[in-house]
Amino acid sequence: MTIRFALAKGRVAKKAIALLIELGYVFDDYSEKSRKLIFQDTTGAIAFFLVKSPDVATYVEKGAADIGIVGKDVLLEHPAKVYEMLNLNIGKCRMCVAGYPDRPLPYGKKLVVGTKYPVIAKNFFQTKKQLVDIIKLNGSVELAPIIGLSDCIVDIVESGSTLKENGLAVLEEICQISSRLIVNQVSLKTKRTSIDPIIKAFETQLTTDV
Amino acid sequence: MLFNNNIEGFETIQAQNSYAFAKIVADLTHLYDLYGYQQTFIPTFEAYDLYVHEDSIPCDDLFKLINHQGKVLTLKPDVTLPITRMAAINHPNPDEIIKFSYKANIYRNFSAPDSIKKEINQIGIEYFGNDSPECDGEIIALSILSLLKAGVSDIHIDLGHVGFINYLLEELDFSDQQRLTLFEFIENKNIGDIISYLKMLKIDPKYQEIIAKLPVLYGKPTDVISEMKAICINKKMEGVVQKITEIYKHLQTMGFDQYINFDLGFTNQMNYYSDTIFKAYINNWGEPVISGGRYNKLSEKFGIPRPACGFAIDLMKIINYMDQNSILPQRESLKNIIIYEADKKTAAYEMGQSFRKEGKIAELFIANEDVIKQIDLLKSNPLYQKIEVYYLKNDKIYYLDKQQFKEVESR
Repeated sequence: MTIRFALAKGRVAKKAIALLIELGYVFDDYSEKSRKLIFQDTTGAIAFFLVKSPDVATYVEKGAADIGIVGKDVLLEHPAKVYEMLNLNIGKCRMCVAGYPDRPLPYGKKLVVGTKYPVIAKNFFQTKKQLVDIIKLNGSVELAPIIGLSDCIVDIVESGSTLKENGLAVLEEICQISSRLIVNQVSLKTKRTSIDPIIKAFETQLTTDV
Repeated sequence: MLFNNNIEGFETIQAQNSYAFAKIVADLTHLYDLYGYQQTFIPTFEAYDLYVHEDSIPCDDLFKLINHQGKVLTLKPDVTLPITRMAAINHPNPDEIIKFSYKANIYRNFSAPDSIKKEINQIGIEYFGNDSPECDGEIIALSILSLLKAGVSDIHIDLGHVGFINYLLEELDFSDQQRLTLFEFIENKNIGDIISYLKMLKIDPKYQEIIAKLPVLYGKPTDVISEMKAICINKKMEGVVQKITEIYKHLQTMGFDQYINFDLGFTNQMNYYSDTIFKAYINNWGEPVISGGRYNKLSEKFGIPRPACGFAIDLMKIINYMDQNSILPQRESLKNIIIYEADKKTAAYEMGQSFRKEGKIAELFIANEDVIKQIDLLKSNPLYQKIEVYYLKNDKIYYLDKQQFKEVESR
C-alpha cells in the first residue's frame, strides 16, 4: 500500500523531501526543476506530490493523500478534518495585526481590516469584541493601509522588513505559525504500520535539530 | 425570465442516484424491521426552545420561522432529540423497550462554505430502555450491516467512550473554555500543543503525561484496552474499560470485530452522548458516514429517565461515494418505446398495457414527421440507451432493428 504525501510547493517541501531521501527512499525521477506532479519512490512504498498550500489539507481530509505538511495559517483559515500530529517547528512566523502605530482608532469607529485571512481576522477581532469590516485581498496586503483602503492589515510576518519599508509596524500578535504534519483520520489507523515510522522519523529529526 | 434560482446547499436527487437512494432506503428499512425496529416518521418542524437550551448546535445553524401564534419553530436539525421527546410522551413507562427506525431530512443553516449541504438525508435507528453492552453491540453491528447491505465493503469503525476523557478531566479543575480547547487538541491528535497548553496552565506533570496519552489511545482493541488500563486513575475510568471490553467481546461473538478500531481521543459535537460513541468511515474518506452512540441522560430532560443508544447514516455521502466508485446499484433499464400514428392510439395503449402487465417498462410517443430523427433524439439521452422501439402505422407493427424498421407479426 503506497503512502501518499502531499506537500505545499516551496521551502518546506524541499526540507521534507530531503528528509525522505535521508530516510532511505529513492526518488530517481525527482529533481527540483522537474515539471512532473507526482513522484514515486523505487520500492513503491511512498509517493509525494506538490500542490498549492491550501489544497494540502483538502487532499488529506478527503483521503487523496495520507500525510501532508502545511502551515498552521492554512489550517486556521480553512479548517479541515485531519489529525494535526506534529509541530515541525519549520516555516516559523507570526500572524499579526499591522498598521500605523501612531494612529489610534477614533472612538466608536469601525476598524477596516485588509487581509488574505478573513476567517482568522474575523475570529480574532470577535474575541476582542472589536467591530470590524473585513476586506479580502489576495496579495500585496501592505498596500491597503498606505493608500487608505483599510486602517490595518492581518498578515503573516516573518522578519518584518516589508512592513518597515512601508512605514508600518506590528500592532498586535495573533498567534505563532509553523508547519504541521497532518494525517488522514482513517489512514492513520488502517495504514498504521507504514505511517508510524514516517511520523517517528520526522519527530526524531525535530528533536535532533533543536 | 428567472435566472439562477438555485439555493445553495440543497440538491435534487435524480436518475441513477434516486434509484439507488430509494433502493438503499428500502433495503435498510427492511433490515431494521428484521431486528424489530418500528419505522417512525418525524415531523419537519420542532420547537425552537428544544434546541436553544442545548449548546450542541449553535443557534445560528438553525432555520427558524414563526407560526401564526408567534411561536418560534425550527426545521429539525437532528433526529435524536425529537425522537427521544416522542418516546417520552408516548411511552411513559421508563422500563419499556422501544426500538425506532427512521428516515428523515435534517436541516442545518451552515453559514460557510456555500457548497456545504444544508439538507441532510438521514436514516437510522434508536434503541430505548436497554443499557446492556449487548445493546451497544447490536447498534454498532447494525451500522456495519447497513453499509454492507448498501453495497460498501471497505468499512472502518472508530469506537470510543466520552466517559474516559471526562472522568479523567473531572480530577482537574478546568474551565469550560479550557476543556473545549483541550478537547480540540485531543481530537486533532495534536500532542505538541496539548503539552504546551497544559504547561501554560501549570497542570501537575503527572496528569500532563496521562492527558498527552489520550490522543494515541487508538488502534487494535486488545492493545488499546491494556493501554487504557495502565492510565486509569479512578473507579469510573476503570468502569469504562470494563464496559468497552464487554462491548468488544459481544462484537467478536457476532463476528464483526474485524471492522472495529478503538479511539478514545474523540468526542462528538452533540454533547448529549454520555457513554460509547462511534463513527463509521468508508475507504479513506476523512468524513464519517455514520455517527452514533449512547445518550443515557437525554430522556430525563423530557421527564422519563431511560437509557438509549442509536446512530444516523448520512445517505448522500454513501451514494456519492458509490457513484464515484461506480458501485451504485443499477436499475434494469430496458425500455420499450412505442411510437404510433395518431389513428393507432387505441392499439398503442393496449400494447403498452401488455408490456406493463409483464412488469416491463413501456413508454408511448405520438409519431413526429420524421420518426428516425425522433428516435435519435431520444437515444441521445443517457436514460434511453437500452431501448426497443416499436412503430405502429397502417395496421402494421414495425420493429427497429439496427436502424432498419422491419415489419413484425406482433411484438
